[in-house]
Parts: sequence; structure tokens; C-alpha cells
Amino acid sequence: MNWNLFVTEIVAGVTHGSVYALIALGYSMVYGILKLLNFAHGDIYMVGSFIGFGLITVFGGSEALNVNIVLLLFLMFFCAMLGGGLLGVMIERFAYRRLRNAPRIAPLITALGVSFFLENAAQLVLGAQFQSYNSFGWKNGELWIRGFTLPAGVHVGIAQVIVVAGTVILMVGLTLFVQRTQTGKAMRATSFDREAAAMMGIDVDRVIVVTFFIGSALAGAAGVFNGIAYQQVWPYMGFQAGLFAFIAAVVGGIGNLPGSVLGGLVIGLAQSFATGYISSTFESAVVFAILIVVLIVRPSGLLGRAAVQKV
Amino acid sequence: MLRRVSLTALVAVVAGLAVVASAVARPVSATAAAASCKTVQIGMLAPITGAAGSIGSDQLHWAQFYFTQWNKVRGHVKIKLVQGDTQLDPSKASTVAQSFASNKSIMGVIGPAGSDEVQAVAPILRKGGLAFASGSATRVSLTNGSQRGYFFRDVPNDGVQGPTAANYMFSQLGVKSGSNVMVVDDQESYSTGLADIVGQNLSGKGVHVDRESISQKDTDFSSLIAKVTSSTKVVYLPFQLASQAQLFAQQLKAQGKSAVAFGSDGTFDSSKFNVSGSYISFFAPDVTTIPADASVVAQFQKQYPGATSPFGAPNYVLAQMYANAVTKACKDHKITRAELRKDFAKVSLGKTILGTPVRFTANGDLAGAKFHIFKIVNGKYQTVQ
Repeated sequence: MNWNLFVTEIVAGVTHGSVYALIALGYSMVYGILKLLNFAHGDIYMVGSFIGFGLITVFGGSEALNVNIVLLLFLMFFCAMLGGGLLGVMIERFAYRRLRNAPRIAPLITALGVSFFLENAAQLVLGAQFQSYNSFGWKNGELWIRGFTLPAGVHVGIAQVIVVAGTVILMVGLTLFVQRTQTGKAMRATSFDREAAAMMGIDVDRVIVVTFFIGSALAGAAGVFNGIAYQQVWPYMGFQAGLFAFIAAVVGGIGNLPGSVLGGLVIGLAQSFATGYISSTFESAVVFAILIVVLIVRPSGLLGRAAVQKV
Repeated sequence: MLRRVSLTALVAVVAGLAVVASAVARPVSATAAAASCKTVQIGMLAPITGAAGSIGSDQLHWAQFYFTQWNKVRGHVKIKLVQGDTQLDPSKASTVAQSFASNKSIMGVIGPAGSDEVQAVAPILRKGGLAFASGSATRVSLTNGSQRGYFFRDVPNDGVQGPTAANYMFSQLGVKSGSNVMVVDDQESYSTGLADIVGQNLSGKGVHVDRESISQKDTDFSSLIAKVTSSTKVVYLPFQLASQAQLFAQQLKAQGKSAVAFGSDGTFDSSKFNVSGSYISFFAPDVTTIPADASVVAQFQKQYPGATSPFGAPNYVLAQMYANAVTKACKDHKITRAELRKDFAKVSLGKTILGTPVRFTANGDLAGAKFHIFKIVNGKYQTVQ
């Protein structure tokens, strides 16, 4: 057995799966509260990625950074999460709020419209060309040269560690927020029964705004993680990432936060193992096959709970 | 009654407008009347704006440069270049081609740049009786005989590129019978076709070819790169996006693999693909490195300051060929599209700035064509073959 290949695929799958998991968390949070599939979520990830790229440019560009990398990373995450969060809040306020009691197809179509709007606006403002974080060039490639080596001789760069560790930190933070804070409790109550929560005095509007802010901030962070690990940013990058993250959310159980993370990792690992052991040509086919199998065997997702139909 | 008269009048006006519009839009027939030779117009289809704008502008500048020089020296027949921006989009190219075909003053066309564009404009320009010659479209099927006498190119096709790349890997990059080469396409027709040709050439030499595929939206190649073994000498990347080749080569290095990244003409862009130690094949030489071209390049850069790429020079040669053909066709002081087409097909230049003679085969291909290989050294492209 080629252990080097096996371990490399695990590292690649977990790294990529972490990015999917962060985006999937946003899908799940919004769905859990509003039962809305926010297809513009992938484009918030794109905006977050561009915010990070903008900061690299401001600080001299990838080959001539004039700032400490740790400070740059902090600023990138802070600005991307803040920018992504505020954009999510604006989308909720101006596009979805008026449709809250409309038939479900209306906000769904609106979400697609918002997605197209963001993509086209980004192309108009930022241009259609691919841009690169080029983290390989930061301070002579420190993020990739430094790191550690796993037993099979697989080198794991700091950049990959940042992605996985960052995802774990954000995930733990989100879990603590949802389980231990008053707002988190309100979110869970709203998710369980929005009308009953309102009758109990919970400000549902505020809960929804907070949900959009947090979910979108996570997407913004995912955009920066993606840039650090996979370099490229362009206006349409949100579509494919959003699609796979949505599949991750469905596989894990949409509306279920640990399920989204599990789904992200399953999809990331499935992609990398399909490439490594079958063929890169079948990578997407394997992912969709997993989705179909999960929907047939366990329609509510791996960790999702079956909805009880009241009669 | 009044309503019926109004309706009839409306129908008559619409019909009249339709007739006028169709007359205006109709391409000039292939047997159009002769035009004066005082100023001959040549159209140029190039991606002057858009994502490929830098390439298209360079192509335009080189053609313009030749005609400017020509007009200074040859006072009796002036040649005017008419620009048409295609943005590398076949539908836009078709629209511009339609206007060229309808313009009785245009006698021949340089361009378009891309193979898809050539396929899109071919029926339109052919119907208009126009010759059209590309300085960058390399798809093999474009010169399969279906456009004989109409379409030409002064660059080699992908049927030359594939074997050239495979032979170079074999002779210079340590690839031999029994060694491994990974060939990765980006699922587009240009890429899969070229990957197939290279794969077949290498397999024929006893090389183990690992044929892989990615999409143009992929950014994470780490899973694929994990399959690159220590016996893999080369990873061939016939992509359309130079930035994707860059990403692949960077990730290859990040995983500590010793295999060499080898790109195709689709990735030829030193601002986007510049990982040192990589190789790249291209259909034209870098004229700035040919000593015999030094004065031409200096004059060009005086007229168009800034960097130039190898995409430009083949269009200078096409302009040169059109000028030759125009001279011949204008012997009787009149010129037709058919005359220019026939004379253009016969032009043979013994010496060109491309460093090789240029003439066309019966199907419009470049006779004796060869691809060039560049090595990336400190981010710059250096000619190695």
C-alpha cells in the first residue's frame, strides 16, 4: 500500500472539506431558522475572498508584503468576516425580509437573483480575470515551507494547518455560542418553532439578522481560507464552492450544525480519494453518487432528524 | 375603412424597411465588382478588448506596424487596416465578420485569433468571398480542406505541437521508455485534443502515461499531485488558463515533487504562468530574441512602447503577405476579393521575422511548420528550441 498517497489524500480531503464545512454551516444556519436555501451564500464566500485579496494588494502584493504575516492574516480574517457578515445582513434586509411570508419559491428565486447580482457586480467592479493570493510567494514561501511532516513523509504546510485549525476554532466558537449564550438559545428556539418563539418574547427579526451575520461571516472566513490554500479568486468562484457546500449540508443533514461539518469533511475526502484512487475525471460523479445514496438511505442526512409530520 | 388603409400602409412600410435592411446587411457576393487600388482595405478581427485584450492589441499593433511602414515606402497603393474587436467571443466575431463581409471596400481579413472564432466566422467570410488568415488559431481541423482557398494560417497547428512537446520531453527532459508522464486536460476541446495527441505520442515511445482531467473551475490539485511519483518526469498541462497551470506548478513544488510542469500555447503568458523550471510550447518564436530582427523590433517598440509577446509577430507576417498579394492583384489598378484570395494563397516569403520561410499548403496550413519550446527562468521565458 502506498501510504504516502493515502495520507496525502487525507490531508487534501480534510483541508478542502474544512472550507466546504464552513460554507455549509452558513447554509444550515439560515435553513434551520428560515427554511430558506440561500443560494447567494457561495457569493458571500467570493466577496470574502476578494476582501482578503484586496488587503494583500494594499500591503504591497504577495511578492513584496510590507507587513507581518500574522498581522496580515488577522486583518484578512477580521475584514472578510465583518464584510461578509454585513453583506449577509444587507441581503436579508433588502432581499429576503419582505418575502418571509411569501410562498417558498419566491425567496428561492430571489436567492438565485441575488447570487447572479453579486457575481455580475463583482465582475463589473473587479474584472473577470483570475486573481491570485499567491501565498507561495509570501515572505519567500514561509506558509508552505514551514510546517511539519507526517509519518508517511507527507509535508503539511502552515497554510494547510491554518485552514484546518481555523475551521475547528470557528466551529467550536459557533457551537459554544449556540449552546451557551442567550442569543444562541433564542436561535435554537426560533429554529424549533418561529411563531412560538415570538410569542415567548424572542425578537425573531434580531435572531434572523444575527444568524445571517454569523453564517455570512463564516463564509467570508472560508473565502480567505480558500485563498490561502488554493490561491485563485474570481467573480464566479462562489458557484462551484457553494454547490459542493450545499451538497455537504444536505449529506450531513441540512439545519444540523455538526452534520454540516461532517458533510463537508465527507465531500472533501470523497473528492480527494476519488481523484487519488479512481480518476480525477470521476471526482464530481463520486460526490453526486454519495449525495444520491444518502438521499435514498437517509433522506434527512447523516446527522439530520426525520421531520415528524403532524396529522 | 381608415383603419384598413392604416394597417395596409403599416405593412407596406415594414416590408419596405425589411427590404432595405436586408439589402444593407447582405454580404457582398463572392463575385463582387472590382475596387480601386488607391487605398485597399484589409479587415482585422482580434480580441482588442476583454480578457485577451493584451494579446489582441499586440496582434493589431504588429499588423498596423507593417502597413504603416508599407504606406511610407509604397506610395502608389496604400493599405488601410480596419479594426474589428471580437473579445475572443465567437458570437461577437460573427457580428464583426458580417459587417466586414458587407463592406465592399474590405478585400481580405487578418484573424480571427481563436479557433472557435475561426469556425464561427468561416461561413460568413467565405460567403462574402473574403480570404481570412489567422496568426494564432491552431486547431487541426481548421485546415482539413473544408475552407480551402479561403482560410490560411502562418502558425503551426496542434498536430505539430503535440509531437514537438512529446519529442522534447523524450530528448531533453529525461523521459524514456518505462518512465511516467502525467497528462492532465482541463475538459475543454482544445485541451483534451492536445492531451490525447501528446499521450499517444508518449505511449508510442513506451512511456507510461497517467491520463488525468480537471475542470477550469478547480483550484485544488493536491489530490492529483499526490499521484505524481518519483518516477514521474513530466506533468503535461495543456490548459487554456495560464493561471491554472501556475497553480498546478506551485502545488507540485509545494508537495516536493521533482516532476517538471510543461504547459502548452494556451498557458503562454509570463505574467500568469511563471514558475521557474517549467517548460512551455508556443507556435511562434520570441522575435525579441532573434538577432536578425533587432532593428524591426526596435522600430516596433518605438511606435508601440511597452512589452510585446510572441502572439504579435505572426500578424506582421500576415500583413506582409497581404501587401505582397495586393501588389500582384493591383497590377491592373483594380482589385477584387477573388483576385486577392488567389494571390494571397500563392505568396511565398523566403525570409520573415519569424526566422523561417512562410508559404501555405493547399489547405492553408503553414508549410514546414514547427513549434517552439521555452523554459521559464526567473519568471521569464527563454527559448530553448
